[in-house]
Amino acid sequence: MSKINETEINVFIDAIAHYFNQISNEIAIVKAAYLASDAEPPPLYDYLGVINLSGDFQGSIYFSAPRILIRHLLIAMQEPNRTEQDFLDAVGEIANTLAGNARKYFGEFMNISVPITSAAPFADIQQNTRTHPFVIMIKWRQYHASLVIDMERIH
Amino acid sequence: MKLMIVDDSGIIRNRIARIVNHPDLSALEIEIIGQAKNGKEAVDLFVKHHPDIVTMDLTMPEMDGVECTKVLAYMNTKVRILVVSALSDKATALKALKNGASGFLYKPFNDEQLISAIESLVN
Repeated sequence: MSKINETEINVFIDAIAHYFNQISNEIAIVKAAYLASDAEPPPLYDYLGVINLSGDFQGSIYFSAPRILIRHLLIAMQEPNRTEQDFLDAVGEIANTLAGNARKYFGEFMNISVPITSAAPFADIQQNTRTHPFVIMIKWRQYHASLVIDMERIH
Repeated sequence: MKLMIVDDSGIIRNRIARIVNHPDLSALEIEIIGQAKNGKEAVDLFVKHHPDIVTMDLTMPEMDGVECTKVLAYMNTKVRILVVSALSDKATALKALKNGASGFLYKPFNDEQLISAIESLVN
């Protein structure tokens, strides 16, 4: 198994910045990735979208955001519906898009699952593949969200 | 021109439906005949309504978009299928095109990009 390095994490940093710019025509502030630890676990907000990996990779990629950020994003997308299902759909679609975009770099053998979504409180977060997953913090408008990269290359 | 939208995200289906009603596409007289959230639903709708163009997600439960594209293109060789997917590797795009897709648009897309992709698809 080989580790994903910090340079490769830039693929996700670029993807999340591009996502918010495309959807809202506004720039999101994307901070440098840091390594989560027991003392500083990945921050999770109201909604969580998880993409599980298989093929040449194992682990998961997950995106978490507060309700207010998703609400603003739905408005930016001119989505009239604001049901609980729409919030879950949105967070899953973001996770799916970021994982899918990463295949441009990691290749077709990074298989990605359909999104698994949930709302807080989160009963069962995936077991960590990495001891210290990468965490990328995003600030869009004045709201924070997190993208967690917990993956390793198998082949 | 009859359009079917296939995507497991309701938000994306709604967004595509809204954008295709843009005045820039009015000359195409696009009528949305249905929306499907997976490949199996898409095949059922396709048989019932015979759309001329289809927007197709790839990562979906039940039947994925590559398989669905292959089935729809087999049933009607004239259907034009625009794949709208986040899967950004070249091999996936080539696979979709080989299976009958006519175009590929990467997510996340903006309104102008979808309008342009549909215009290219039809023309």
